[in-house]
Amino acid sequence: MTDNARGGDAVSDGELVERGRSGDDDALDELVRRHHASAYRVARSITRLDDAAQDVVQDAFIKAFRALSGFRGDASFRTWLMTITANEARLALRKRSRWNESAIDDVGPIAVDDPDPAEQAVNGQESSRARALLETLPEKQRLSVSLRVDEGLSFREIADMIGSTEGAARVNYFHGIRRLRELMV
Amino acid sequence: MSQTDCGTIREYLPDFAAGRLDVGAGKVVAAHLPNCAECRAELDLIQILLAAPPAVPATLVHQVTTSVRTSRRSTRRPWWGISAAAVAALALGIGVSTDRPVTIDGSVPDFASEAEEGELWLSDDGLLAGEPSFDGLSDEALMELLEELTSEGAG
Repeated sequence: MTDNARGGDAVSDGELVERGRSGDDDALDELVRRHHASAYRVARSITRLDDAAQDVVQDAFIKAFRALSGFRGDASFRTWLMTITANEARLALRKRSRWNESAIDDVGPIAVDDPDPAEQAVNGQESSRARALLETLPEKQRLSVSLRVDEGLSFREIADMIGSTEGAARVNYFHGIRRLRELMV
Repeated sequence: MSQTDCGTIREYLPDFAAGRLDVGAGKVVAAHLPNCAECRAELDLIQILLAAPPAVPATLVHQVTTSVRTSRRSTRRPWWGISAAAVAALALGIGVSTDRPVTIDGSVPDFASEAEEGELWLSDDGLLAGEPSFDGLSDEALMELLEELTSEGAG
């Protein structure tokens, strides 16, 4: 996805960023409206906790807008924001684990507030089950699948976000998909 | 279709399933699918995932726009907006500063610099779970691995 106006959006992200730099709060509100969902899904994918993900999204937007003057537009605003969000989410996890030694339980295979995958299978909720199983994958695989499937990012963009090469991002994605198919059987 | 074709098609499947693919590429994928059970099975999985995207809290937009505006208002505070206590302290030569920088745009450290200890992937459960690391592999090794992943069970 580029900084051009997204489907149905009359004003491009780039224009909104320019207006935001000039102090236009409405332009920034519009950027929040456009991209909060993607940011939330990234934060949720890393933290696996709803409340933590919401805090992360708030912090990410605040940091992004403060650093707007440094945004050069090499990447789309969306990808840039999602990278900030991913970093914020990792920092949030680290702070949690410092705060509570037992927090490792919080970042275990499945979020505590999620239903048990087995229970979901019994209920026949295949999609929910797939989502729950996705959360059991290692972080880079999980994030690669989520960013590729949900957000439509390229492997180059995913690589930038997970701090790897493009080839490694591709391998993480295919490993994740293969594992998910095995788990779904 | 060869295994290489499956590899290319599989890269397109998420965009195909989500309707993000242009018409030409979409036709290529659609033509491949009837002859390839593996790609169809993978497409099924992707469609299952797309059918239940993580729900975004309805209040999140309001929550974020409000906190962004609050944050910007507080960082826009002009020099005469500092607290009376700070003025008094300055007058007394104590040297108390405002809690926020006076100028904002461009003065805030880049977000990346706030990563305190460098290794952002410390929380990576993969380290605990034995996730294979692909970052150190050469391009050739990655290509081999990818070939293996995209050809397994294909055809």
